[in-house]
Amino acid sequence: MRCGKKMEPTREKNVTLVDVLDRALNKGLLINADLIISVADIPLIGVNLKAAIAGMETMLEYGMMKDWDEALRAIAREERAKQIAKEEKIIVPLKLKG
Amino acid sequence: MKSTETKEQGRYLYCIARDNKQTSFGKIGIEDSEVYTIPSNELIAVVHDCEAKAYDSKDEEKVKQWIKQHENVIEKAQEKFKTVVPLSFDVIIKGENASKEVANWLQAEKERLERNLEKVKGKQEFGVQISWDIAIIGEKLSKEKEEIKNLVNKTEKAPRGKAYFIKQKIKKALKQEIGKLAGEKFKQFYLEIKKHCHDIKVEKNKRIEEKQMLMNLSCLIEKNKVELFGKELDKINKLEGFSVRFTGPWPPYSFVT
Repeated sequence: MRCGKKMEPTREKNVTLVDVLDRALNKGLLINADLIISVADIPLIGVNLKAAIAGMETMLEYGMMKDWDEALRAIAREERAKQIAKEEKIIVPLKLKG
Repeated sequence: MKSTETKEQGRYLYCIARDNKQTSFGKIGIEDSEVYTIPSNELIAVVHDCEAKAYDSKDEEKVKQWIKQHENVIEKAQEKFKTVVPLSFDVIIKGENASKEVANWLQAEKERLERNLEKVKGKQEFGVQISWDIAIIGEKLSKEKEEIKNLVNKTEKAPRGKAYFIKQKIKKALKQEIGKLAGEKFKQFYLEIKKHCHDIKVEKNKRIEEKQMLMNLSCLIEKNKVELFGKELDKINKLEGFSVRFTGPWPPYSFVT
């Protein structure tokens, strides 16, 4: 096994603009109240970002399952659920003791 | 002439942090607005004064500029306060006394904001996107898998009409193998990566730099684990046919709710 090698994260501005846009537009804290204006749905950028999403043409050329993305996410959810179940198993008996 | 019918003003919100006094950041905000903090009961909101309406434009470059400034302010605030809860772009609190509304809101949401601050404290967000080269993977599979190997051998001897038929069979077998492998690799990488993360989010696959994305993750990582994380990613990046795009650190946009 090779040791000592590691990847360094990049924040180079011209490489990561799409990451900044994605995060600032689709993520971050949102607040719900009457006195708040919250749009974050700038049409032009929204459309272009959506166009960039899920370019899976080559995959589809190979005729892969259409819901591929969803299937993979389901695996992640499954793993997560297992994890949570494990954590709950640990927590519950402790609570009962108290 | 500008209408003064409404006395409402707005405060554009960048992020929330723990502090107890007003601080000025200078004119670093969107469209060079003066950025400062509004304190309320041990929390501050980083804001600028604006009209009581959202930023909106058909000019894509302008919007990109706004968002870069939004990000930049949050980074500056992060340098100063260490831990911040970033807001989404274009969140504005309005009111006749908008600063007071912001302070009230900080007070009202204190519990939720504190919970978010606690969650991201001492951690950084990173983006991890793993892509694969279908051509390389496909070629490798067709050499490894007996079924496909046999079919490939058959085409070499077959007459043209039959060769086409066999090629269709190869394609079908390949797509099945690739699908299987995608599932396996996704699970394998996901579990390896998750070990190093405090929290992890599976994002939709996107196309960046014309590559076929296998998985797109947002990872919340403790600062002292980032190096080890980089090593883990390096192992995946070295696998034939796979490449890793590793970006950050980002403000923890994906882990605040």
